[in-house]
Amino acid sequence: MERREILEELKKVLYPYTENKEQLGNIDENTSLVKDLKINSANLVDIIIDAEAKYNIEIDFDSAEKIVTVGDCMNAIEEKIS
Amino acid sequence: MSTGNDIVALAVTDPARTSRYRFYSRIVSRSELEGLGSALPFPTFIWLLWSVKESAYKYISRSNPRLVFAPLKIPVSSLELREDYYEGMIQLEHIVLYSRSYVTSETIMTVVSDEKEFTNTRWGSHVIGDADYANQSASVREHALESLSTVAPGLRIVKAPDGPPEVWDGGRILDIPISLAHHERYVAWSYRLTANSSSYRKSAAN
Repeated sequence: MERREILEELKKVLYPYTENKEQLGNIDENTSLVKDLKINSANLVDIIIDAEAKYNIEIDFDSAEKIVTVGDCMNAIEEKIS
Repeated sequence: MSTGNDIVALAVTDPARTSRYRFYSRIVSRSELEGLGSALPFPTFIWLLWSVKESAYKYISRSNPRLVFAPLKIPVSSLELREDYYEGMIQLEHIVLYSRSYVTSETIMTVVSDEKEFTNTRWGSHVIGDADYANQSASVREHALESLSTVAPGLRIVKAPDGPPEVWDGGRILDIPISLAHHERYVAWSYRLTANSSSYRKSAAN
């Protein structure tokens, strides 16, 4: 799966938790989940769990703890599906 | 000197999901589960610990902006029910912090301080009418400024692009660390004064 495809699928995972939904269409790898998309930090674990279910993967604790941006999230997913 | 706070709207948490191992094990360690007891329902207990850790993260990240929030790396070493709040202690390397968490059927609000007695820490929470994100953000500032007006009138809260909010008096930043939190219809704030808070405006005049 190409990174572009991962990004498109990730948008669907992020959608229910994103306050700033308009910006979701313009995200890139540098977009901060909390600062830019206004995702409440209380939903960060939800996003990891949803991403795991969507891709049938397990994101380990170390990878999850590094997730700050959309790119970090993509990296964690890509690492597990490749 | 810093401050950190958090508020969780329990109605928008998912108790069933919170109770799943894959969820709560990302927030609470085995030793915390075994060592910290409470009469709270399990999902509420998990969100209580989340709130303590998030507040401690906010406290610490003020001096370490590159810190990433990793709940398992912020150990809560004690949690005791006092009269109307849970008193916690967080020990992270050489840092020892104390927390007070107020748990209701609707929310968990936590504030963290380096002071066990919270003598110079102020905090509060409010219910707002509109859960729109922009309104949450505006409301928490409005309520925090209302409290800060007892310190000095006309203060401003300024959000630095990549840092925590700051309290400004005219063109001068004040040494009043402030933390803001909002979740759905609930907003909360905390700030930390020095022992002699009356000096803020005096020093501005010097």
